[in-house]
Amino acid sequence: MILGPPKLSLILPLLFVALVSGQEQTKPSSNGFAGNDVCRACHPAVWQNFYKNPHFKSVAAGNLPPDKNGCEGCHGPAQKHVDAKGGKSTILAFSVMPAKQVLDACLACHSKDISRHNIRRSSHTQADVACNSCHSIHKPVSSKSLLASKQSELCTSCHASVRAQFSMPFKHRVNEGAMQCSDCHNPHGAPAPTTSMSVRPRMMEHAQANEQSCIKCHADKRGPFAFEHAAVRVDGCETCHSPHGSMNAKLLRRPVVFTLCLECHNGAPGFGRSSQGIPTQSGSHNMADPRYQNCTTCHVRIHGSNADPLFLR
Amino acid sequence: MRNTILFLLITSSLQGQPLVGPTPQQAGPARGESVGDYNLTNSFETGYRFYTVDGNGGMYRSNVNLRNGLRLLSGSFTANSKTGHGKYFDELVLNVQGLGTDPYQSSILRLQKNKIYRYDFIWRSSDYYNPALTISGGRHFLDTTRQLQDHDVTLFPQAKYRLFFGYSRNAQNGPGLSTTQYFDSRGDEFTLFANIHRLRNEYRLGGQADVLGLRINLLRGWENYSESQDQNLGAPSVGSNPNDRITLNSFRRTQPYQGSTPYWRLSLLRNVTKVFQANGLFSYSEGRRDFSLTESADGTNRFGASANRQILLSGTGTRPVATGNLTLSFLPTDNLTITNHSSFYNIRMSGDSTYRELNNGTANLALLSFQFLGIQTWSNQTDISYRFTKWVSAYGGYQYASRRIRSIQYQDIDPAKGLIPDEQNNRLNSGLFGLRFQPVKGLRFSVDGETGRTDHPIYPISDKNYHGLGGRAQWKTRKLTLSTSYKTNYNFNSTAITAFSSRGRNASFDAAWSPVTWFTLDGGYSKLHLNTLSGIAYFSSSQLVTGDRSAFISNIHALNLASRINIRKKVDLYLGFNRVNDTGDGRTNITQSAPGSLLNPSSSAAFVTAQTFPLAFTSPLARISIRIREKLRMNFGYQYYGYGEKFYSFQDYNAHTGYVSLTWAF
Repeated sequence: MILGPPKLSLILPLLFVALVSGQEQTKPSSNGFAGNDVCRACHPAVWQNFYKNPHFKSVAAGNLPPDKNGCEGCHGPAQKHVDAKGGKSTILAFSVMPAKQVLDACLACHSKDISRHNIRRSSHTQADVACNSCHSIHKPVSSKSLLASKQSELCTSCHASVRAQFSMPFKHRVNEGAMQCSDCHNPHGAPAPTTSMSVRPRMMEHAQANEQSCIKCHADKRGPFAFEHAAVRVDGCETCHSPHGSMNAKLLRRPVVFTLCLECHNGAPGFGRSSQGIPTQSGSHNMADPRYQNCTTCHVRIHGSNADPLFLR
Repeated sequence: MRNTILFLLITSSLQGQPLVGPTPQQAGPARGESVGDYNLTNSFETGYRFYTVDGNGGMYRSNVNLRNGLRLLSGSFTANSKTGHGKYFDELVLNVQGLGTDPYQSSILRLQKNKIYRYDFIWRSSDYYNPALTISGGRHFLDTTRQLQDHDVTLFPQAKYRLFFGYSRNAQNGPGLSTTQYFDSRGDEFTLFANIHRLRNEYRLGGQADVLGLRINLLRGWENYSESQDQNLGAPSVGSNPNDRITLNSFRRTQPYQGSTPYWRLSLLRNVTKVFQANGLFSYSEGRRDFSLTESADGTNRFGASANRQILLSGTGTRPVATGNLTLSFLPTDNLTITNHSSFYNIRMSGDSTYRELNNGTANLALLSFQFLGIQTWSNQTDISYRFTKWVSAYGGYQYASRRIRSIQYQDIDPAKGLIPDEQNNRLNSGLFGLRFQPVKGLRFSVDGETGRTDHPIYPISDKNYHGLGGRAQWKTRKLTLSTSYKTNYNFNSTAITAFSSRGRNASFDAAWSPVTWFTLDGGYSKLHLNTLSGIAYFSSSQLVTGDRSAFISNIHALNLASRINIRKKVDLYLGFNRVNDTGDGRTNITQSAPGSLLNPSSSAAFVTAQTFPLAFTSPLARISIRIREKLRMNFGYQYYGYGEKFYSFQDYNAHTGYVSLTWAF
């Protein structure tokens, strides 16, 4: 039988693998580490594109100890795995590790990144959503964050109600690729928000040093204004808006604006800045007349004004 | 030159309805060519997008906004050093989308050389079109483009000592319409033309050091913001209410606004031991904006007399903000995690405004207005997670927060009366729990709950007595994923004379099936229910109405289906369907209350009609991608958008969009 070039091209690497494997097996390294060359002998497909992986930096550095270098930097000492000719029980195999163990393994290097300060208390960690639930180290769609899939697909694969909101007629353009979930959220957990009693939600990214993430883009709503609409600063933009998507224009929580305003501005004692109630509308307003049902026609600077305490200009 | 054969299998994924184009790369051979020490990959898709609209084109532009034209639908280029020791860089990644005339365009670049530098650049352009919807009487219009760019450079990204620099720019420009009321609070509304220019620049400088096991990250930033929005009448107008006698012959308003917000951010992190970690994040930002306004108008007042008015106004707003966050994590065993998070937030907003008004050339009004709003919040949260067995884990937490709001408001030249601050304090106690259960591999159940009580919420709609409960189940194998979830949220906020309650219930079911590598089928259904009831007070014909209610009922059914088929690795076919339908409160007529309406029988008709807003938004799409040559594909796509409100029709539209393109990739 004559071997043609294609078959030869398969056999030669196998021969190389066998030789390399044999050499390594005869010289097991100390502490149970086998070295990257041994790994790639049996896992050539993983190694083939590993130079595109951010973790390849550990290999390229050339001076890192074996527990921080290449394959064994994450998967641990591989000599047992080699001696056993494979198997997931002889090495740290992330596909079968419990979520916390995966987290511990990744945080061994990544814990000090500022974006992961709150990963131990994040909603994802509490839900046993481990790093490899979203990240694929060896088959990522992009080398930047090693995500297993497009970010919006990853998030909405669990957050189905959010996916429904992004399918509504009025929405932030996530499906369109104009922005990503992580523009507003930190999936690794975030410090307490600066609104809503600093309790919820837990995964909001801060804009600048300490602001709501909305103002990263909506800079004109940031202020400071001489006359702030307290609702924006105290309970946040979500007081009036549904940030993911809405069936109502301008992502409002109500289809018309006057009900949105009147639900707070009802004068009920105990509420408001002074606990004397949120002021009701002026007696000159007549809700029976449609012209008074469009509050923001006159109160045009509803997010805050420097000119008028009633936001009229 | 060597080709790397990489099979990109079709994977099933649950996603929202994407735009019909650009064409995602589904399957195909041959990615990467070697040039010297680098591996290069490339993919560019260029094509023509087209559309037609029947119905309200403004609403179409607000919702979708795809237009005709030739564009670079998508592109990517990568260059990677195979050794990690490239001469000038080790990685270059460039991704672009929609360049040309798409409403949403972006370019993302990463360039880095190991150990030396990393540069990230993001540029985005997004069209924002507000078609003057029924809200605000249909007179607030915007046709602007917002362009954002972020540059971040990190020097020595793998070293113990790092430096970083950054610059961000956010510019919004375009025409708009606004409104003003003249000549007094019983006056008429007039539409104004506006030319909007908003610009934000932010500069960042920072460093990071690892010293004695402590990681210190310090960032200094400067934000500058400016806005000018000259407004004018355009032509003499009788206003929105032609039956009154108010007219404006001319109007002009100039209102420059600018200021800066310098800030500091400090992060400290220490892994004290293997079982104890501590980190802190502290920030302080100043903030100041200066504002002036000149306004002149002439016309006739509501008594039919000639009137003119000039307004001169200047003001300043300041807002220093300080935050502190401290997180402690204890991991005493492999199964137990305890975290404690303390946060502090202090904001002090103050502003003054000097207002001078001249009517018919005579000084009429001079006001000094001042406001102060201070918010100080402390919170502490403790969470415990424990894994009982490999398949069962649980967590629980307790949160306490205390907030103090101080407020000063006056509008006069006599400050003594108004300077007495109001104060409002609120305390929150809440608890949360969760349970995870994985009886067999691939099958997961989870339950989460939270309940909270506050003693003094600031708004009638704020959380007061609330609780939420949710559950999720997922069955996942290599070929099939089934998941379902349910979540309900209640909030009840009441005082002696008013009450607010809200009830939200979300349920969803999803399935993703990929029986073979060339076929996938995804589907999902979600039901989102929201039901709120609020006590309201308002004036009707000069009479104060109390005890009335505002109700809102929404029943949204969202369905999405998608299927991908790959035929002989030459043809990719994608079919998708998306429909979101709010069925409202079940009524058939806008003016009638639904059976079992929560409103008072005597409620104003305005509140009856505002109780619900049923509409349907439908969007099916089909896309086909054919491999012509090894590196060349041809793509076609069609997507329909249908927007239909149940009770009105003037905002409805039907739109047909599509594209044809060529993809060149290696």
